[in-house]
Amino acid sequence: MSQADIRSELEQAAPEPLLPVEKKLIGFSLGTGLVLLVVLALLNYFVPATF
Amino acid sequence: MLATYAALLAVLSAAAVALNADVKKFALAFTAVFWIAYASWVVGSYANFAAVTPAELQKFGIGWSLRLTNEGGFIFALIAGLIIANVFPRFAETIKEAVRPELYIKIAIVILGGFFAVTAAGKLNLATSLLLRGAAAIVEAYLIYWAVVYFVARKWFGFNREWAAPLASGISICGVSAAIATGGAIRARPVVPVLVSSLVVVFAVVEVLILPFLAQTFLWQEPLVAAAWIGLAIKTDGAAVAGGGITESLILAKSAAEGVNYQPGWILGTTATVKVFIDVFIGIWAFVLGYIWTNHINVTSDKARIAEIWQRFPKFIFGFVVTFLIGLYLALATPADIAAKVPAAIGEANTFRVIFFILTFFSIGVLSNFKKLWQEGIGKLAAVYVISLFGFVIWVGLLISWLFFAGIKPPLAG
Repeated sequence: MSQADIRSELEQAAPEPLLPVEKKLIGFSLGTGLVLLVVLALLNYFVPATF
Repeated sequence: MLATYAALLAVLSAAAVALNADVKKFALAFTAVFWIAYASWVVGSYANFAAVTPAELQKFGIGWSLRLTNEGGFIFALIAGLIIANVFPRFAETIKEAVRPELYIKIAIVILGGFFAVTAAGKLNLATSLLLRGAAAIVEAYLIYWAVVYFVARKWFGFNREWAAPLASGISICGVSAAIATGGAIRARPVVPVLVSSLVVVFAVVEVLILPFLAQTFLWQEPLVAAAWIGLAIKTDGAAVAGGGITESLILAKSAAEGVNYQPGWILGTTATVKVFIDVFIGIWAFVLGYIWTNHINVTSDKARIAEIWQRFPKFIFGFVVTFLIGLYLALATPADIAAKVPAAIGEANTFRVIFFILTFFSIGVLSNFKKLWQEGIGKLAAVYVISLFGFVIWVGLLISWLFFAGIKPPLAG
């Protein structure tokens, strides 16, 4: 694919609306990530680093 | 020096054979890469660039210094590569057979495994604590960064799925490897991850020139926060781990000037650990995306297979773990006379680690032809990167590094 082809593809690509499965993926990732971060932060608080 | 060059040429030519590269071309190109990169390192070690303390300035009889430390040679190697890529593109093309930053940094990380083991052996509790805290980096990179970057690329910039997924992986996880793994998993055309990888490398150049100095200025009193932050913010293995090396050098110099002498190895070791932890899950994440894409988005008979997790697993991690375990065994489980010799032996190996860092920096520079990338229409992709990087990757990375690493200090030297 030539440089001009990529440029025009990126500039003129037809919009693809977010599918329900993509919304689920984004929501599930963020939700799980935030919950796990809170769990790890609590662990970090109650089991502090040992020197 | 000649012996080092010859030894590396022999070993890496064997690697080139394994990679099905043209060995003769590789050997010629490597010769140019090695000597230019090494010359840059020598220039970077010039007292006016490298001297840090007043005592060093006095020792060399100079009145000023950029205070880049010896690791400033990495930056000179990077700049030499950038000049070649952007001013002498035909020469860059000639030496491309040996311009392999991913190969060089992975060898360096494997050597680093042994170095980190010897560093950790004296403070196993601290090392274990750092490893456990590295888990936070995985959560952040895969579950938080990825989702946000994908959303930004799709919703705000209108990228289609084929571009948005590799772009999200490249920006949020681990640059080149993650973009390529994701591109393969979602059955994207090869050009997509290649262009995303080029973008990631360019941004890594910018980051590695700025972030270590910001870390030295604002985070020198929290060295391990700085280390984790560099590992989370810079998105290629090469630039991140080598950036950790620069950060360590800068922070150790600044701390020493304030009368605090930290043991070397902990900052670099923490950055490398964060990066390796993130790398471990690339194959699994690519499989998850591949499963969703081939079953729910672009339904195809070419379904994602469990075996792809293994195929996309970055195997160099085994090398890192093996050298780490061997180093730990030699330092802790051998008779005292053998154990006493281990630090010196690892110190010798560490010299090669530094050489591979130099080669990595130079290679990253040579791959960064800004004009060519702009002509390829990378502007819109770069806009996603800028928004993501400065909008939240840097700040969320800093917050999480602070949350998990604040107050944990490297042991004092001596």
